[in-house]
Amino acid sequence: MKILYFANIKQEIGISEENIIIENKISIFELIELLKKRGLKYKNVFSDVKNIKCSVNCIFSNFDTMIENEDEIAFFPPVTGG
Amino acid sequence: MILIQKKPFNYAKELDIFSKKNKLSGAISSFLGKVRNFSNLQKIDAIFIEHYEKMTKFQLSRIIEEAKAKWDIDDIIIIHRFGRLKIGENIVLIAVASKHREESLKSVEFIINWLKIKATFWKKEISNDNTTWVKQKESDIDKVKKYNTSF
Repeated sequence: MKILYFANIKQEIGISEENIIIENKISIFELIELLKKRGLKYKNVFSDVKNIKCSVNCIFSNFDTMIENEDEIAFFPPVTGG
Repeated sequence: MILIQKKPFNYAKELDIFSKKNKLSGAISSFLGKVRNFSNLQKIDAIFIEHYEKMTKFQLSRIIEEAKAKWDIDDIIIIHRFGRLKIGENIVLIAVASKHREESLKSVEFIINWLKIKATFWKKEISNDNTTWVKQKESDIDKVKKYNTSF
């Protein structure tokens, strides 16, 4: 699956996107747990998720949403446009 | 029409084009958002806007569809910029054409209120001392609670 990062999350992790392959469907929450194992930067970013929003294929989604390899996931802070 | 662009836009020119395109509409209402020179009493020099283009277009389309379902609207244009913007520059233009004023006035407010919490843009404030990502305001979330709508 394609994972995108925006704003302060992109800045802190240091990349804007990456691809990972999973064997079975998992929840966003489980994906976050997987990402936290990738290093200190991920662990710090995802240590407190109350100010992190996510989307699956451009739709705002809860962390219990199930995802698969074909999905595009994005993590970002609450939006501030306008 | 939704335009997400780096280049500046001319407010008067865009409104004039929109007005001529909708010459049979009895009302056109608009909102223009600009870059302020302060935030939380601190002086800023510029802002930087980042966005998730695909999702932004999708979310703005949903907001437009919802506005059209609520009110009798002839046409809508949204222009939103990204990249580095200086103080006083235009950030966003929303214009709505309708037969009567009530529909266009109410829908412009509806669109900007939902844009503030659903369109995937993020602002960073830049000053001599530092750069800070802007935090979403609770008051912006409160503003959409009055609508019987959810996305």
